[in-house]
Amino acid sequence: MDMNGVCVPMGDVRRGRRLAATLAAAALLFGTAACGADSDSADSGDPNALEVWTRSNPDSAATYDRVFAAFTKKTGIKIDYQPVVNFDQQLQSRASTKDLPDVMINDTALMGSYQHQGLLKPIDPASISGHGQIDAKTWSSTVGLDGRHYGIPYSRQAMTLMVRKDWREKLGLPQPKTWQDMLTLAKAFATRDPDGDGKKDTYGMVVPGSAQNGYVAWWGASYLWQGGAKIIEPDGKGGYRPVMDSAAAVRTVSWMKDNLFCGDKNVVQPGALTAVTSTATNFQDGNAGMNLTGPYNIVTFDGTLGKDKFEVLPAPAGPAGSDALAEGENVYFGAKTGKDKQEKALAAFLVSPEGQKLAMTGKNQPVVRIPVNTTLDAAKVHDDPRWSVVQKAYREASEQFPNAPDLAPIKQDTADSLNALFTYCGSDVGAGLQELDDTLAGDLKDQDLMP
Amino acid sequence: MTATVTTAPRRRGVLTRKALLPWVFLAPGLLLALVFKFVPMGKGIWLSFFEVRPFLGDKWVGLDNYTRVLTDHRFQEAIGNTLLLGIGMSLGAIVVGFFLALLLEGQARSLKIVRTAVFLPVVTATAVVGELWRLMYYPTSDGLMNSALGFLGLGPVPFLDNPDTALWATMVMGIWMTAPYNMVILLAGLAGVDRTLYEAAAMDGVSLRQRLRYVTLPALRPALAIVLTLAAIRGLRVFTEVYVLTGGGPAGSTEVWMTRAYTLGFTRNDIGGASAASVVLLCVTLLLTVTVNYFRKRGDVR
Repeated sequence: MDMNGVCVPMGDVRRGRRLAATLAAAALLFGTAACGADSDSADSGDPNALEVWTRSNPDSAATYDRVFAAFTKKTGIKIDYQPVVNFDQQLQSRASTKDLPDVMINDTALMGSYQHQGLLKPIDPASISGHGQIDAKTWSSTVGLDGRHYGIPYSRQAMTLMVRKDWREKLGLPQPKTWQDMLTLAKAFATRDPDGDGKKDTYGMVVPGSAQNGYVAWWGASYLWQGGAKIIEPDGKGGYRPVMDSAAAVRTVSWMKDNLFCGDKNVVQPGALTAVTSTATNFQDGNAGMNLTGPYNIVTFDGTLGKDKFEVLPAPAGPAGSDALAEGENVYFGAKTGKDKQEKALAAFLVSPEGQKLAMTGKNQPVVRIPVNTTLDAAKVHDDPRWSVVQKAYREASEQFPNAPDLAPIKQDTADSLNALFTYCGSDVGAGLQELDDTLAGDLKDQDLMP
Repeated sequence: MTATVTTAPRRRGVLTRKALLPWVFLAPGLLLALVFKFVPMGKGIWLSFFEVRPFLGDKWVGLDNYTRVLTDHRFQEAIGNTLLLGIGMSLGAIVVGFFLALLLEGQARSLKIVRTAVFLPVVTATAVVGELWRLMYYPTSDGLMNSALGFLGLGPVPFLDNPDTALWATMVMGIWMTAPYNMVILLAGLAGVDRTLYEAAAMDGVSLRQRLRYVTLPALRPALAIVLTLAAIRGLRVFTEVYVLTGGGPAGSTEVWMTRAYTLGFTRNDIGGASAASVVLLCVTLLLTVTVNYFRKRGDVR
């Protein structure tokens, strides 16, 4: 009798993430004990060595290698560096041995979840030398539920709109500044044959609209902020409350549904409702005209489309402004690791101008996008003026997910709801969001954040 | 046998060694099964009674995880999809497998080549198959399916993006993948059919339908029983097909029990709940298998 409910696909899979996910599913059914971190080399005995984990593929790991080598050279503190692709599964299995990595670099959005699980050590910003070079807004994003900091900002970014410049100029349309401009441009891309092949095979914009891993919530967050909506907000008494039933949320989601998913054909790419970023490749394939996404794609698009073919623009403004979703990576200290001094030295180096610059340059993928160190200028360090658009977006018009609570269930429930509303064009947005609001209230109660 | 008494002490040693030998050969396999199957399985069942917090220590919650899973409306909604997909895929694969077996039975070299080609989907990784079908289902005339429909003046159909068709599209892929496996089992069954029965049937001048009904199908009983048992075991645990093709969407229209459990375990970090969901599936599958076996044995006796 076979217990496991999945079969594990082997062999060549183009999407490594997906294979990892499938393997992970198998691991779930084999019990969590099945996945063990390969960390025998972690020499926790050496008091002058730090075990550092990052969620990196081999290419970005090469960048980290250089950064850590420079740190060791400078301070004499050795780094046992482990790039981990399926970070969270591995971390869970390490957590069960009660011996965490000393330092971890991972997504900002995971902070609440990690803190909830007791994995993090609180940090006093003042104890990190050079902390003043990180601005207050960025620091505020690492405050946990109890008011203490649980991470040190490392890299930031904001969503920007990538637009096919050649198409736009050919059709004689201006750069989109508002939602309406963007919609007009999308319709023109879809109907006026911008690639000039005589066929109607182009689409306005690319949307990863699947609820899988919360993608549609990640993509839609910028629109929510721009429409004046929020998903959850602090209730002023140390807790949170869901606010997806607000008039602004109903208005925003209705606009998205009516114009992007249920309006004119081909405003978004076909298959958007089941697409995740790895399958929504229409922009780099050259048949979609716009893509609201993170700046790490600039390099990808330079390679597939060519530098001269597209432009990087601030996200178009909605009725409440032009705030786009901001995200990034933090440096986290594992709980109970007892190497405070070395950890703080590493963090100070990572956020110093030298550390940040090293992580932004070199022939491998940069691991710092927008530097948290305000003495640096992204466009200058990356040697690419397009990065100033991203930096300006991050510093002046962006908002992160509230990451003090455990965000995963909140993002997933929001994504499920948005995907359903966008799928059924006859759906009642008000009722759907009211239901979402109730579900979110349940999530917050589970975390004791709501009475 | 006469030497038994005199060599008794030595004989006993031989006997023990003889008895031990199979176990020695079995040991590697058993050990692997123990480490990678039974221990994790036991651990999974154990975890289903806990709120799993690897670092802070697991907290015993009794049957809480089970009540939570069984009362969650999204799990309840997934039951319908799981049953429809499981039963549809299993029966579809048996019917298609049966007709493939009838078509491809024989010794000719060309048949061997065709049989091999038809069998390929079974040995291809599900993730690869899923990616392939995603391309074939592509919702514009660029997709293989839609360009075929275009020839007939139909389409394009958004197979996977329409909540009314997504589950059926997934089912078709599942049938395509598993039917050849059934075909092989049924082919083996067909090879065992007594040829003289066909000749006798031909002498009696029966129609093709009658021949199938009264000769082929009864002779295939054992093979069909195996195929049905396998279907009962596999039917409900469908995961990869859905995960790669639609991820449970759109609007949850293809969400099945295991995709839900996966989301619970890995997106929401609720390993206890996900373990409980998996154990529930294990119990249902066990029950189903036992039932199928019971009916099979009863049928055999009759």
